[in-house]
Amino acid sequence: MNDSSMTLYKRRRRRNQAAMVLSCGAAGAGMVALVWILATLVLKGASGVSLAVFTQMTPPPGSSGGLLNAIFGSLIQTLVATLIGTPVGILAGTYMAEYGRNNGLTSVVRFINDVLLSAPSIVVGLFVYEIMVQPMGHFSAWAGCVALSILVLPVVVRTTEDMLLLVPDSLREAASALGAPRWLVIQKVCYRAARAGLITGTLLAIARISGETAPLLFTSLNNQFWSVNMNAPMANLPVVIFQFALSPYEDWQQLAWVGALLITVAVLSLNIIARTLSSPRASDR
Amino acid sequence: MQTRPNVELTKTVLTEPVAETLQEKVSVRNLNFYYGDYKALKSISLPLYDRKVTAFIGPSGCGKSTLLRILNRMYDLYPGQRAEGEVLLDGKNILDPKTDLNLLRARIGMVFQKPTPFPMSIYDNIAFGIRLYEKVPKSEMNDRVEDALKRTALWDEVKDKLHASGLGLSGGQQQRLCIARSVAVRPQVLLLDEPTSALDPISTAKIEELIYQLKVDYTIAIVTHNMQQAARAADFSAFMYLGELIEFGTTDQVFTKPRESRTEDYITGRFG
Amino acid sequence: MRPLLSLSHYNCVQARVSGSVVNNAVTAVAGRTSSTLARNKLLDSLLRISTRSAAIVVLVMLTGVILSLVDGALPALKTFGFSFIHTQSWNPVTEKFGAAAPVYGTIVTSLIAMLIGVPISIGIAIFITELCPPRLKRPISTAIELLAGIPSIIYGIWGLFVLAPLLQKYVQPLLIGAFENVPVLSSLFAGPPYGIGILTASLILSIMVLPFITSITRDVFETVPPMLKESAYGLGCTTWEVVRHVVLPFTKTGVIGGVMLGLGRALGETMAVTFVIGNAHRISHSLLAPGTTISASIANEFTEADGELYTSSLIALGLILFVITFIVLAGARLLLLRMKRAEGH
Repeated sequence: MNDSSMTLYKRRRRRNQAAMVLSCGAAGAGMVALVWILATLVLKGASGVSLAVFTQMTPPPGSSGGLLNAIFGSLIQTLVATLIGTPVGILAGTYMAEYGRNNGLTSVVRFINDVLLSAPSIVVGLFVYEIMVQPMGHFSAWAGCVALSILVLPVVVRTTEDMLLLVPDSLREAASALGAPRWLVIQKVCYRAARAGLITGTLLAIARISGETAPLLFTSLNNQFWSVNMNAPMANLPVVIFQFALSPYEDWQQLAWVGALLITVAVLSLNIIARTLSSPRASDR
Repeated sequence: MQTRPNVELTKTVLTEPVAETLQEKVSVRNLNFYYGDYKALKSISLPLYDRKVTAFIGPSGCGKSTLLRILNRMYDLYPGQRAEGEVLLDGKNILDPKTDLNLLRARIGMVFQKPTPFPMSIYDNIAFGIRLYEKVPKSEMNDRVEDALKRTALWDEVKDKLHASGLGLSGGQQQRLCIARSVAVRPQVLLLDEPTSALDPISTAKIEELIYQLKVDYTIAIVTHNMQQAARAADFSAFMYLGELIEFGTTDQVFTKPRESRTEDYITGRFG
Repeated sequence: MRPLLSLSHYNCVQARVSGSVVNNAVTAVAGRTSSTLARNKLLDSLLRISTRSAAIVVLVMLTGVILSLVDGALPALKTFGFSFIHTQSWNPVTEKFGAAAPVYGTIVTSLIAMLIGVPISIGIAIFITELCPPRLKRPISTAIELLAGIPSIIYGIWGLFVLAPLLQKYVQPLLIGAFENVPVLSSLFAGPPYGIGILTASLILSIMVLPFITSITRDVFETVPPMLKESAYGLGCTTWEVVRHVVLPFTKTGVIGGVMLGLGRALGETMAVTFVIGNAHRISHSLLAPGTTISASIANEFTEADGELYTSSLIALGLILFVITFIVLAGARLLLLRMKRAEGH
């Protein structure tokens, strides 16, 4: 190595060190963002958590109250949306992996589904407003459920197809060779083999919709009172957080933080459960 | 065995007063290697002589590739792998933690089982390595690229498409490109890890021919599964088995008068 | 993109499954009379038809979204014509509506978010694939992916109450001061530090797109054959040179696909932006000034919009947003698909 190549090399090494420091910095920044957001939520939210949050209705400004109606509304709408979206999604995914593998319809549906997977959720809200709220003449929990179910659908379709494609064909062939009809093979072999994956997909879908706000803004709207009428506007946590956080009242803002903490805990727990389910071997590593 | 093309050369090695003319370029001394807790190499000691070809042979999993990858400390990329002992390059221990790995690897080139052209043009595949350590003006760079391609007998085949992607070449051409790329950096030692295992017989013959020509300038270590290849291309052979060095000697001696019965069994195809 | 889940769970159920299949199949064979045959045939076609219909529902959904948006946007588009896109005024009183400000806001916030987010995401991916000690690999990957799980409204409330005040107090005055006398930059960073505005929204968006871009980039980085990287190291390359000259060129298509996917997310993001953008229907030179985006306008105004034209204009905004994101997302998917295919060869 002569001098000039050593100078060149020293410069390269400095550049490498700079790049590596930046890369570590980027990872650090990501961590900081996560920790900062979670810490803020816990600090601001935890102090407001009390029994009243789970037993009282959302209050008018200036008085105390809780989030019961919003929590209930979120649970029921998430549940109904999952019940609508999951079966359709699993069926569609089944078609793509079992019947229509590699055919034209499947490729088109897969492509469209992938686009829907990350399409802006507010557009889904507009769509449901157009097809349900406007014709019915009023906002309703049903409309909210339909909007959320449209968001569930692509997640479930995607995971179902992926999971079923992971089931080896030899298993299908073995079952068919025993004389089992197709529906039985799918139901007893493929679904069972892919069960953990299907559950994970559903959990991820639930996690996705339980924090969704935009599509509910003009479908199920909001309701300050206790309501179990699916045909009327219904409160839900995200919209309540939106409304309360942007208000000038401090007790509303406090409740918004509590709601935000509740949602985040729920969503992240779902995510972690889904992750653990999908990779049982992860813990051995 | 009798069909070796370079019999003459091996004979020179044998008949001349051996000890004086041979210089140890690399000396491996009492080398142990671990993958985590698993001991993959057990106290290996052997020399790589200057401007000679040394073949590492032995059944799969015997540690010959592992040994090769220690010589340029490629194993350092992977956590949990460590080496103990000494590997001297011109008398300096390269296992020293203070060794600068980039400089070391620039001095010791490596070619892999499969061709690994970089995702860039043929010209840039070669110029890339040169630019790492040298500031070369355009015209000289052209010469260097041409020279490297000529040395690997690739020039006539690619001179009209130097700026096409290296990925468009055939497997054999890609592998010669990779050798050209290593040679262009002007290393002192070349490590070849089963360089012909993914190639057809014609390409293989070309590569072997190339090895024969390259040893005029380089110290070469080659890992191979192919006994004939070792016999044809190497001056010295090291037979390894289960992480141990069973026998080291001139290729002639190892192949015709093996001292160890295990070597003989392997070479004659009784196992492995 | 890699599948959302891994194969590993599969093995543990295999044993259970094969047992039950045998039983069922044996029953099926043993009782194979013409009626069970007919029943099986019926069930088979029933399942086939219902799965096929479900697949078609996905298609119908997209068509439905487009048709309903077009239908809803029609009154506005008829009234304002093409000028809707480049008119800046947004006046519910005089019923004059134009999309220029929200479209500008959407594009500018997303682009700035990309400018900040992409290098950081790629940096994190490099860290995870090349630098990170193996013990930390999984925790860090998981942590980054948890960022993706946090609902966007959380980012919004955090941005409004934590980030915006911080920016207003420390960062923005610094920016204004620093670029005061620099020709172009002084107008970009002009005006009083509001805290909320285009820049703040961009920052929040850049944090939100991090996990998407990072996870795709990391996945495509891991498709680079180790031998190819070793060859570059074997020439004496530094880690950065290996990344710059081998890994990035090799994974170019996939990385661009991932970046576009992130861009698609940023363009359509609603709640986080609505909190911190300031909701002002105007195009301002300064990045510190409040602005609006398409989704924020819709979220803020839709329920209060009275009059057909107002509602229709908002839906027309939604249509524009859908078209923009559709193009970006479709492009992203095509690139990722192409990458996958190239890998298959």
